[in-house]
Amino acid sequence: MASLKRWVLVGLVGCMALALAYVPPRGAKSSGTTLFVGQSRQGTPARQRAQALAEEWRNADAAVRLLEDRQRVKGNSFRTSPAIVFRGATPPPNVVRNVETVMDSVWRRLGLAETKVQVTLVIELQRPNGSADRPTPLQDRVAYLPPDSTHRTICMAYLPAGPYWTLVILGKRDARHEGFGRLAQWLQAGLGPCAFYAAYGTPGRPVQSWLAARNWDVGLYLGSSGIAGERFSSLTLLGDRRFRWFWDGVYSFSPATVACLAGRPSGCRTAVLAGAAEERTIPIASIVLVERRWWQTQRLLPGERYLGDVARTVGRDRFLSFWTSALPVDTALAATLKRPVGEWTADWQRGFVAPIRLGPAPPLGGVALALAIAVFAIGIVTATASRRQIR
Amino acid sequence: MRIILVLLAVSGVSRVLVGQRWERQVQERVQRTIAAVGTPSGLPVVRRSGMLNTDEAASFQTTLAQHTPYAIIAVCDDDCSRLQLTLLTSSGSEIAKERNSESLPTLHFTAATSAVYGIRVVMEACRWNPCWYAIAVVPLRKIPS
Repeated sequence: MASLKRWVLVGLVGCMALALAYVPPRGAKSSGTTLFVGQSRQGTPARQRAQALAEEWRNADAAVRLLEDRQRVKGNSFRTSPAIVFRGATPPPNVVRNVETVMDSVWRRLGLAETKVQVTLVIELQRPNGSADRPTPLQDRVAYLPPDSTHRTICMAYLPAGPYWTLVILGKRDARHEGFGRLAQWLQAGLGPCAFYAAYGTPGRPVQSWLAARNWDVGLYLGSSGIAGERFSSLTLLGDRRFRWFWDGVYSFSPATVACLAGRPSGCRTAVLAGAAEERTIPIASIVLVERRWWQTQRLLPGERYLGDVARTVGRDRFLSFWTSALPVDTALAATLKRPVGEWTADWQRGFVAPIRLGPAPPLGGVALALAIAVFAIGIVTATASRRQIR
Repeated sequence: MRIILVLLAVSGVSRVLVGQRWERQVQERVQRTIAAVGTPSGLPVVRRSGMLNTDEAASFQTTLAQHTPYAIIAVCDDDCSRLQLTLLTSSGSEIAKERNSESLPTLHFTAATSAVYGIRVVMEACRWNPCWYAIAVVPLRKIPS
């Protein structure tokens, strides 16, 4: 009986040791407030429904405004760089001139001059809250109206300025601190797919369908200098392991995106060509509405500049042949890159994020402790067995 | 003061013309082609122009007079490398098609009877969409009375 008690005690001690080793206290409890997800607390069902309706109204309102503005600006602009239209408030003429000057420099930096598709940038300045019977207009999402068969040469970009940029544009915030460099970056990022339309024209049907299927996530930014030196990208948010939300971000990505982050060409290929197999009918006046947290829905990191980097790498002529190709996207892209898409993309990805390790990776301390426990258990069993006597 | 006004006027003109480079290109091109084909003065030349993306088509109808020889020509901008031109009956049946002349397809046609005919242009290859095109229906001599 005493022997049995001793064995039960040894078993319990062993279980506790294993629990301590493999269920560390830091993993036992979730804070429930991850910075990465950043969801607001849920309201009542009635409030949620009201918010959903307001969201729908804002999206529809933004689409109607873009269509109206397109009708208004048609053929009115003589600028080679994007025409700029202000909504929400009427800024003084010197402010308009300043913003146009900054946009001209952005345009030159992108290497653009006169283009077949003209861009009109609608900047929605922050206005006071709407009246009680209607929600405020879309003020935190960027929207685009690409050219279609009714307006083949106009691409509209809707850029809500929000409180911060409204103050900067209106000169109510000290420009010495904000600087026009940042304003230029904001305007350049706001061009989105319209910059691609301006630089390379309307894409062929396969590319257009592919980009529409993935909401243009690989063509949101046509930078001229690559990621280095740019102040904001999805990398800033998700690509830095020093931030504690890095792994939250990794776990939120699709398996192909994670595989690509690990440097696997097959994963990169899948991530790039997602949506390429779909044959979509692109409606006339198809609005591209960029997600509020677009960096969370990307399939590549930093996906927003993928096509821009492809274009810079292969040169204008080869990129144009891809852009307007009638071939399937995978064939056309591989022909343009002169390499398999997955391999090229894996190399590109490696330039931004060091490949992560996939699969089980136990911590060194945990392995040492487990081995010590195993040796301890084997020792006890051996010692007990050596003393065991059969009577 | 006059110099400033002239400079302003010149800059204004150049700004107006900006954005119409490709359109001007095809208009000049079609004008030169009409001159090269040669048409008796006083005869009306039907002209149409527009822009198309790769693989898109546009068509219009025009009346061709009996026993009058016509040259139907199409031109496009520098980014276009292949343009297809088709002459159709009013019911849509193809009478003639030209797709071998790359960016300058030309059809010669003499109508047996005065009727409405269709003309269709297809942008078969455009490396920077959209590409501008222009079509001219040129009567080559006066209708014999």
